[in-house]
Amino acid sequence: MRDLKRRSAKFFTYCVLSLAVFSALFPIFWTITTSLKKRVDTFSLPPKFFNFSPTLDNYKKLFSDPVFLKVYLNTALFTFGSAILSICIGSLAAYAIARNPKFHGKATLEIFLILLRAMPGVVLIVPLYDLCAKLHLLGQLPVLIVIITALNLPFTIWMLTPFFAAIPLEIEEAGMVDGLSTWLIFRKIVVPLALPGISAAAIFLSLLTWNEFLVPVILGDQSTQTLPVFISGFISARTLDWGPMAAASSLAIIPIAALTVFVQRKLVVGLSFGALKE
Amino acid sequence: MANVGKSRKAPIAFILPSFVLLIPIFLLPLGLGIYLSLHDKSLGFPQPITFVGLTNYHSDVVNTNFYSAVKVTAEFMAVAIFIQIPIGVLLATLLHSTKKFVSFFRSSLLIPMLLTPVAVALMWRFMFSSELGIINWLLKSLAILQPDWLGNVRAAFFAIAIVDSWQSIPFVILITLAGLASMPLAPQEAAIVDGATAIQRFRFVTLPLLKPVLLVILLIRIIDSFKLFDIIFILTRGGPGTATQTLSMLDYNTAFTFLATSRAAAIGVVLAAMSLPLYLLWKKIISVSA
Repeated sequence: MRDLKRRSAKFFTYCVLSLAVFSALFPIFWTITTSLKKRVDTFSLPPKFFNFSPTLDNYKKLFSDPVFLKVYLNTALFTFGSAILSICIGSLAAYAIARNPKFHGKATLEIFLILLRAMPGVVLIVPLYDLCAKLHLLGQLPVLIVIITALNLPFTIWMLTPFFAAIPLEIEEAGMVDGLSTWLIFRKIVVPLALPGISAAAIFLSLLTWNEFLVPVILGDQSTQTLPVFISGFISARTLDWGPMAAASSLAIIPIAALTVFVQRKLVVGLSFGALKE
Repeated sequence: MANVGKSRKAPIAFILPSFVLLIPIFLLPLGLGIYLSLHDKSLGFPQPITFVGLTNYHSDVVNTNFYSAVKVTAEFMAVAIFIQIPIGVLLATLLHSTKKFVSFFRSSLLIPMLLTPVAVALMWRFMFSSELGIINWLLKSLAILQPDWLGNVRAAFFAIAIVDSWQSIPFVILITLAGLASMPLAPQEAAIVDGATAIQRFRFVTLPLLKPVLLVILLIRIIDSFKLFDIIFILTRGGPGTATQTLSMLDYNTAFTFLATSRAAAIGVVLAAMSLPLYLLWKKIISVSA
């Protein structure tokens, strides 16, 4: 009896989990297969799940457009430029916080970081748009990079601080005995030891920036279009060009799906305000 | 040497670059937002701006659109709290109890979490299309009502709730799993020895131990549903009518569709004020979970 109960519980568990996995993966499967279909197959009813002849036409169409190559380049510059800047500024702050848990101004920084994390993006974007328009800073990729770096600062600092805090003080003391300056201790001893954490944070920040929509769509222009901005452009008045749209979406989501699986454990700290360790 | 250890501190100056970044991109816009909200300015008309006091707050914050946006935002928050969190915790608990295919289930369930929201929303828009979409095809073959997902007032709300849940439940699963993994084994074993059923163990052992983690999830889901924007922007832009217009969407539409900068700034100031309690909640929750 007990065995039967346990077995049915197990059966129930696997049914629920399988259903959940199906729901999680089906939209992704559908995006990718749609990107490989000819226009006629895209809208056929009943839908064609596997019984269509795949084609790369949608991808060819995308890559033959010089605008799309520019979009990919913009996205790469935006993503990696901001990841590097975030890591530089965030590492310094995280190290200072890890080694001085009770300094003056920590409360101020904390309030800034939490409000920044909690506030809807539009709150800052409306005045930022006004400010950038006055200073003729709209539509410039470096400006977008600096702004997104600031907006991602809460994540950066939360993710990095525990890694710096975990470095034993004795190692730094050895550096002091050797007469290294504070900067050199940081640069030559601390940073290399925190590298696993730094690289996890860099990956996470890249994911966030890669996905960012509000900042480039409002503060950017045609010349600074990133992938999400480009993809959103597919909603034109009447015609929705689903094939190329699915291809562009696939190109946006496939790298992230792969990275998420890879770094899932490391994401916990950054996603939970640092309240939970990995 | 011990003294060296105690006095060894990283220079506070290392924190300066963060402030240098936060002042022009956080404090300055916030101040400018307050300034704009007290003046009369719209993007369409570059006239000299004039001081109008609290008029923008009277005329725009206290009106039906604003209240409707508060209601819609609260409804999405309710979905996050009462639907996403229970489902996520259930799935994480089931996942934690299984032994076979764990990493397959785990990876698959987490994938939607960080996918580009714009791309995800567009794909769902494709699946939701009323005539040719796969969702209505499925509903039709099951002989269930086929709503005009993005055109109907109620259905549009559900459509957005579904897409948001699809992306957010994986987050709940991830954090719950982390909490379950760091949980001590002894209380569970004691409960088994005492003959507690699986459901009793979940209710009286797992859930109380999970409380700090659940509070963190609650806080973040409240914040992120308050911030929900990309998915709505792509699926409905707040429509039909104002059926899915959240506070963020209202602020955006006021600023960039109606070009009413000052009125949008006033809404922004109210939204900033509304995020202050979230800071207090954070302080409280962190002190519980740390």
